[in-house]
Amino acid sequence: MKKPSLFTALVATLLLFLTPLSLAIELDGKEPVSIEQKEQYTAIEYLQLMQQAYQQKNYELLYLSSLQSQLEPMQLIHGVVADQQITYFRYLNGAIRESLQFNGNISYFEQGTPAYTLKSHQNRSVFANVANFDYEKGKDNYEYVILGKGRIAGKQSIAIRMISKDKYRHSYVVWCDLKSNLPLRLDTLNQSNSVLEQVMVISLNVSDDINPWLKKLTQQTLPDIVHIPQLTTDNSSQWQPNWLPNGFDIIKDDQHKLVMHENEPVSYILLNDGIVNVSIYISTKKIALDKNQKLIRRGATVLYTEQRGNIEINVVGDIPAITAQRLVKSMSLVKNDH
Amino acid sequence: MKEINQQLSSLIDNENVERQSLDALINDQAQQAIFSRYQLIGDVMRSDVTINIDITAQVMAEIKQQPVLATVTAIKSDRSETNVVSFVKRFGQYAIAASVAGVVVMTSLITTQPTVENRGIEVLNTTPFGGMVSPVSLQANPNQTKQALQARHQRLEALLKDHQLQLQIQP
Repeated sequence: MKKPSLFTALVATLLLFLTPLSLAIELDGKEPVSIEQKEQYTAIEYLQLMQQAYQQKNYELLYLSSLQSQLEPMQLIHGVVADQQITYFRYLNGAIRESLQFNGNISYFEQGTPAYTLKSHQNRSVFANVANFDYEKGKDNYEYVILGKGRIAGKQSIAIRMISKDKYRHSYVVWCDLKSNLPLRLDTLNQSNSVLEQVMVISLNVSDDINPWLKKLTQQTLPDIVHIPQLTTDNSSQWQPNWLPNGFDIIKDDQHKLVMHENEPVSYILLNDGIVNVSIYISTKKIALDKNQKLIRRGATVLYTEQRGNIEINVVGDIPAITAQRLVKSMSLVKNDH
Repeated sequence: MKEINQQLSSLIDNENVERQSLDALINDQAQQAIFSRYQLIGDVMRSDVTINIDITAQVMAEIKQQPVLATVTAIKSDRSETNVVSFVKRFGQYAIAASVAGVVVMTSLITTQPTVENRGIEVLNTTPFGGMVSPVSLQANPNQTKQALQARHQRLEALLKDHQLQLQIQP
């Protein structure tokens, strides 16, 4: 007799305690404290929290990039000093390859070659593409869905899926730490839902203050700045795509030289949808192409080539092959007779 | 000679070696060559993944024979005083921008297996040069000589690197 009565008493007290507690949580829900409370965020809100965290927090990530059964361990240290982001990146295996970006400069260091600096405000670190995306605007082309919770790098995290609304772009799954909101994993998926590329954090360290070593790096003298000449003659490429996938805009349209390849002149168009960049190169045909060598794919990156008479068109970017193909088909010379 | 070799061997094995023989090693080129060979043998025996073969001498000899590359080596000496370096002089280094960006190097592209998801577009299915199957496919296409293929791969690699560079310097 004693046992059941004790049990009911226990349940009763528990219920007594729980009901006001859950009520209280709902009442002052402005200051989220526990994980349970965060459930009130929508998918897009999680993504926006992730963006803020990636740009504003001091953290160190050790992560693996996996691509067609190749693993590459890398490290990223990020800090903020006086609203300035400082990003240090390096490969952990093989030859030493590092970069340091802050104050509009990015410096590259590689074993055996002199270091140099480029002028660049473009953050291209590991999660930068999803961390700089305008998710509100992206609603036109992606749907955001909470997939569920899981554990990545020992942290409770939430998986959010960005599903492409058409077949012309990849879909993504972003995993965010529920505590720091930082991104912990990014899968790039194709139409048939197989993973093309994956980046996964294995160690995350968040601190209130900037890593002192990183701060010190900013006081070092940078390697020489490499000057990139701007072509002064007619800058436009003279070519235009007559079709663009939804959400893509032309960012650049110029003629420049392939400095890494005999200074070969190319007409160039750069497209961007906020997440991926696509380069289109138009040049004179040099080597006749075999029919079965049109497409090269590595992970999510595609390089598609088409030859048209004396012209060769190449498209490079993290897009499905079908998009590259349609883009190339749509290319035509700009008519000057207007 | 054999005795010195033995000392070399023990030096590699981190055993104590007299200072005298160390000096001898430093001053003797032939000994240095043996030393590096021993190191290599050691690496192989310990089955280190990255075997450090020193081909500097051969590469330098090769470079001396090629006029184009010779001008590249000259750049180091006429490093300008200003902080801004001419673009053309430094072009080779953009390779780094590409590799540090963590992206595509052609060699890995070439060895890439064609994916199943094909969507009616032919995939470049070139086996790596010197690979087992390559001669057959090369013979099958008389138009596509080995050299032409290589030239094309170089160009595609340049495109990929330029793509990376353009992304980094976009406004």
